[in-house]
Amino acid sequence: MFLLPAAVFLGLFSLYPLVQLVRMAVSQVTAATLNADWVLTGLDNVRRGFETGQTGPAISRTLVFVVVVTVLGMLVGFGAAIALRTTGRWSAWLLALMVFVWALPPVVNGSVWKFLLNDAGLLNTVLLSTGLRDTPVPFLYDQHWALFSVAFVNAFAVIPFNTLVFRAALMTIDPEVFEAAQLDGASKWQQIRHIMVPSVRPTTLVLLILTLVYGFRSFDFIYVMTYGGPGTATNTLPFLGYLQAFVRYDYGLGAATSALAVVGVLVLAVVYARSIKREEADG
Amino acid sequence: MNARRSSLIALAAAGALGLTACSGGTSAGGGGATSDGEGGGDGVVTVWHYFSDPNQVALMDAYQEKFEAEHDATVENVYVPYDQMNSKLVSAAGAGTGPDVVVFNGAEAATLALAGALAPLDEQWDGFADADQLPDSVLHRVDGTLYAVQGYVNLLGLWYNQDILDEIGVEPPTTMDELEDAMAAATDAGYGGITLSGLPQSQGEWQAYPWISDAGFDYENLDADALASGFERVRGWVDDGWLTQEAVTWDQTVPFQQFAAGRTAFAQNGNWQIGTAESDADFAYGVVPLPLGSTGGVYLGGEGQAIGAHADDPDLAWDYLQSTYLDVEGQELAPDLVGSIPSRADTAQADVVTGNDLLDPFARTIADFGASYPSPAIPPAAVADVQLTVGQAWSAVIGGQQSPRDAADQAVAALTGQIG
Repeated sequence: MFLLPAAVFLGLFSLYPLVQLVRMAVSQVTAATLNADWVLTGLDNVRRGFETGQTGPAISRTLVFVVVVTVLGMLVGFGAAIALRTTGRWSAWLLALMVFVWALPPVVNGSVWKFLLNDAGLLNTVLLSTGLRDTPVPFLYDQHWALFSVAFVNAFAVIPFNTLVFRAALMTIDPEVFEAAQLDGASKWQQIRHIMVPSVRPTTLVLLILTLVYGFRSFDFIYVMTYGGPGTATNTLPFLGYLQAFVRYDYGLGAATSALAVVGVLVLAVVYARSIKREEADG
Repeated sequence: MNARRSSLIALAAAGALGLTACSGGTSAGGGGATSDGEGGGDGVVTVWHYFSDPNQVALMDAYQEKFEAEHDATVENVYVPYDQMNSKLVSAAGAGTGPDVVVFNGAEAATLALAGALAPLDEQWDGFADADQLPDSVLHRVDGTLYAVQGYVNLLGLWYNQDILDEIGVEPPTTMDELEDAMAAATDAGYGGITLSGLPQSQGEWQAYPWISDAGFDYENLDADALASGFERVRGWVDDGWLTQEAVTWDQTVPFQQFAAGRTAFAQNGNWQIGTAESDADFAYGVVPLPLGSTGGVYLGGEGQAIGAHADDPDLAWDYLQSTYLDVEGQELAPDLVGSIPSRADTAQADVVTGNDLLDPFARTIADFGASYPSPAIPPAAVADVQLTVGQAWSAVIGGQQSPRDAADQAVAALTGQIG
């Protein structure tokens, strides 16, 4: 009985849209037929996506994007958590700042970064004035730089969250463990390697999967910063799905592309669920 | 380390991450009208528009004041971001709701009409006394049914910075060679050559069309060589340093802001920037028609005005259109506030138009290069596809993702399937 509200909520806002997405992905749905009966076309939409030559490259870009977001998000997040492990005014102030960054809407965050990364933005101004570069770095308008720049900003947005979670995990380590290690002559690096990393391993696993999922479905920063450009250089699966469904009004094609992204997220969700189960069994 | 505690931390993380991911959405807000709501209307005309430029917003406010002064009703202007306008209209129509009046990119009338988001206007139009004042080119019909009208026309011209041209000793260009010579001289003097938009969507296609049509490309023949030739010219401007590659991240507003900052000789931009130029540019400036050849075309665009398919009081919505966009005094507000060219034949001859030196080059462009937007060769259902395809190719060329040749070949292959 107590499960009912949660079940209804899940059914309405998760299962129903998912079922509709799959239905749409296997049907011919355009602006003209969206509000009418959908004609079943099987896997035709998926085939069309690959035939147009857009889906394949979008998958590759999505994977690159996810790797950059995940590696940066995890490593920098963990590093910042170690640096902010202490309690004090500075760490409290920095943590508050991080929560602020994390809470910023992606549209605002992305617009600020777009401003910072343009030719006359802060980063290029510093690089040019210090003589490190002769010409501005084409952060958002070169096909290779653009993908990495948007992935970096995506990682920047997830770092505060990862830091907070890692820090919470680090704070549970008994201070006596560190004191004992220091008495034994362990260096800072050894403390990180042999105490902190093993201690946060369960947190790391679930956080890794969450960050992967976060990277996999990233859309808003691309929308704000590059609109998928230059050309199609930052068209990842979620953005390609958006273009197909909401710009070209080929809802069936867009749903098929989005369904591919959902499959990727689902695989990670299964891994996540299994890791949680294993942790609980171990605990 | 307590594993269960770690899991709890991670679970909290999951919830929080989900919240972050959901925070980016925006909503058009209230103001939607329901077809089965209050029946005979609520005395409020809800108008959806996508204007963020202060001068364009001022025009919406002026129309609101005019209508409210003339009628016992109120107007609620609701801003919807450009990129979200169509999807919000389509989904609202599916839910049996939507605005009373919608001001949208006229080129997308067919898309919205086919989606059932717009109400037919034939009945109202037949009873409109001044219908003969508006040319067919500003009436948007789909399969013979009228769905939208345009109260004004917008198009592109070549803005120039007179101070820079004086400094480098050149006259405003009238040919492509003169334009390229002037851009070269401006760049040598330390200025930018030209600003335009290379965004990979419909705005990019709108900006690309004059240059690719000048090279001989059109949507009837789909000549890949001509398209490649047009692309090569503009890519050459990037290679020569006359046009920044950064243009691929700019919508049409940003390049004009760059021009208004006074460091660029030319801007390919529209008549709707007249108000912005007056308020932001502290240098002498002017406009000439884009220096195109005999095949060159400049789209006659602008916003279409329509009544929402689920307007709660279509009659009041029609009164609003008659009192603002279709009215002589209402149309005179557009050139005054944003520099748009009125669509009524009588208003186009008013002093507010003929006495404006900046509007004259645009009026000449209409006569010399005016092209229907979208091209009649594109089937209504394929308009959005075509615009995205060419916009992406345009962006890929300016951004260096593809060579002009590859971009043209790929685009023509896609267009052949879309246009048939």
